[in-house]
Amino acid sequence: MSSPQASSPTRLLELSQLNMSFGGLRSLQDLDLWVDEGEVVSVIGPNGAGKTTLFNVITGIYRPTSGDVRFDGSSLVGANPTDVASRGIARTFQTVRLFLNMSVRDNVMAATFGQTRAGLWRSALGTPGARREEREVRARAEELLSFFGTRLMGYRWDQPAYSLSYANRRRLEIARAMATGAKMLLLDEPAAGMNPSETHEITELVGRLRDERGYTIMVIEHDMHVVEGVSDRVIALDHGVKIADGLFDEVAAHPEVVEAYLGRGTAGTK
Amino acid sequence: MSGDDSSDGASVDGAPVDGAPITGSDAISGDPGSGPETLAVSALNIGTDEWVAQHETRTSTGHGVGARVNALWMSGPAAVRWGLPLLVFVLFPVLVSDGYLLRIGVNLGLFALLALGLNVVIGYAGLLDLGFVAFYGCGAYAYALLSSDKLGVHLPTWLSVPAAVLFTALIGLLVSLPSRRLSGDYLAIVTLFFGQIFTELVLAGDAVSLPGASDPVDITGGANGISGVSGWSVFGFSFNTNRSYYYLVLFFVVVLVLGLGRISRSRMGRAWRAIGEDPLAAASMTIRVNRLKLLAFVVGAGIAGLSGTIFSAVQVGVYASSFDLPMLILLYAAVILGGSGSLPGTLIGAAIMSVLPEVLRQPTYSELLFFVGLVAGVLWILKPKIGALVLAATVAVGFAINIVLLAVGVPYLSAAEWTQGVIGELLGRWLFVPQDRLLWGNVAFVLLIIAVAAFSRMHGRAKMWFLPLLLWLSVFVWMVRLSTEASLTRQLVIGATLVVLMIARPQGIFGKQRVEVL
Repeated sequence: MSSPQASSPTRLLELSQLNMSFGGLRSLQDLDLWVDEGEVVSVIGPNGAGKTTLFNVITGIYRPTSGDVRFDGSSLVGANPTDVASRGIARTFQTVRLFLNMSVRDNVMAATFGQTRAGLWRSALGTPGARREEREVRARAEELLSFFGTRLMGYRWDQPAYSLSYANRRRLEIARAMATGAKMLLLDEPAAGMNPSETHEITELVGRLRDERGYTIMVIEHDMHVVEGVSDRVIALDHGVKIADGLFDEVAAHPEVVEAYLGRGTAGTK
Repeated sequence: MSGDDSSDGASVDGAPVDGAPITGSDAISGDPGSGPETLAVSALNIGTDEWVAQHETRTSTGHGVGARVNALWMSGPAAVRWGLPLLVFVLFPVLVSDGYLLRIGVNLGLFALLALGLNVVIGYAGLLDLGFVAFYGCGAYAYALLSSDKLGVHLPTWLSVPAAVLFTALIGLLVSLPSRRLSGDYLAIVTLFFGQIFTELVLAGDAVSLPGASDPVDITGGANGISGVSGWSVFGFSFNTNRSYYYLVLFFVVVLVLGLGRISRSRMGRAWRAIGEDPLAAASMTIRVNRLKLLAFVVGAGIAGLSGTIFSAVQVGVYASSFDLPMLILLYAAVILGGSGSLPGTLIGAAIMSVLPEVLRQPTYSELLFFVGLVAGVLWILKPKIGALVLAATVAVGFAINIVLLAVGVPYLSAAEWTQGVIGELLGRWLFVPQDRLLWGNVAFVLLIIAVAAFSRMHGRAKMWFLPLLLWLSVFVWMVRLSTEASLTRQLVIGATLVVLMIARPQGIFGKQRVEVL
């Protein structure tokens, strides 16, 4: 896999000198990082390191104080979340944010909004074009749900999303992100709150997303087994500063990373 | 969980690399060695999901007759469920020639149109629009100005109605532009202001100083409103009877139900509901949140404007008082009662909220409604046997109280002095009506409130024993005090209906149970 120093042919996402401040609090400081096409990059760091802020800046929820975010050759600075999603970056949320009272299938179909065209009148009249589009979107949603095997299988597609277990909600959120037609997925703690076997499934799932579907993936994760299992490369943040960037083994052994996680006193004893 | 074992043995590389994207559980569970265990785990997960999924059915299916009736109705094909009520409504004017009843029918239809419009705004997009009635007023006034002697303009219907609807939709757009970034409480306050501004403007619109004119010009007629509005006239057919307007309104209700039903199931409906659920998540899923919010506002306003044009034509005039706060409250009550976001629910809510006040105007009807509601309610909620027992006990309690009060020597009214109508005849011998109705009624009313409060704190058996007394007390209060005070009763009943519904079925009659966070 690509090492951090190797120059890559296709840089999909590139952040340069990115700063994000909230009043006096500098959540991200002079951040430089990139993700190559087809890569799975994990972002690790202690609580409050700025990981979710990083996702929020990339997806247009926050506008960076300074610096640039370039995706697929153009800048994302100033784009709103809808634009970012339409341009190919879809995300999941740390606190799962599904449309809980909509059916499982509708959750996925709703995310195809940006790729469909039927407006109010065509929908109300049920024109052939609108109906065809509806059929296609439905088939696409069901195909995406099938990607998750028996976990999100047919008989529960009509159930409201709130009826799903926690792990399935996380799966559904990934399916919904896939439905946007994005080529890059940002997964915010996909294994949080899962039991060991589900955590293991998530690890495999991330691999399959890349291998079978060709997604470029950025994932925030606390579970080091998952990070080790999925990552081509690991980026460690602490207090909004990038402290390490490289292969899992390198980053895990990096003194600053150990210090960030375990504190200064124990850093030397490792 | 047993999954602990499997995660140790499974290697990450075990993920299937090649081949079919749609695979069975093997693709997910990975390690073939742990097959039975992972199967057990997934079976457990499915079990949990199913259990949660059935929650609504388990809790909302009552024990009583109501549940069975409901189940029978819901098992019927959609064509019957929609067609049967439609047939009733189509035949209604044929069977009924009473102008008053037809007028109630027209009002019901207008109310249903409004509720359908409001349902788009609040039920789908989740926007708390408290200025909605003002759009109804906009449509009505716009039509009136274009079709009366007020400005001396009499446009043909095919021009004036679209103009009024477009004008209202435009106002809707203008109101929603500054408020598109607002949500929840803020939007509610801003739109409430808009509603008030509309009323103020219309009331002050009888003396407008225009740049060119030396004297103030009367545009809206102020408190006197605009009278002499001409009716609809399409393809040479003039609408001038309640019956013709009834069918006109029915036509629009059917068209809207069909159209909105399609929209609800389309990408627009999904996007609206997604915005109502979680605007940020919706925006992150390529949904143009602001644009769709505006659209919901505009569509709602347009529908309200259309109802307004018909309203002002039916009434042959418009008055600011028609577009006041009470109308807004009734409208919201209808949408919430029926189940926000549900089309049949909205229609039923509209029917209840527009017909109920009319029915309660007549003491005979209101008594009938009260008793039918009481008996039906008891049988609907309780198991049939217990319900019958409770009703029998209530009758017994009534006679017992009669004996006690007679023995004490309380002066009473004979049956002939207070009964009227069917129910009265039946009750004359059972219910004790004291001569001083005012005093006894007021005391009993306070007692009833205390009794209801006490009842709500009781559990199990005690509740069942107390219920007959409570029922008797409510009958007493109704017959002795409330049935003579029609206007007060109407408000009380509407309030009580909403309270009861909120406790028994918070999602509304047809609403889906909404879950915020599990």
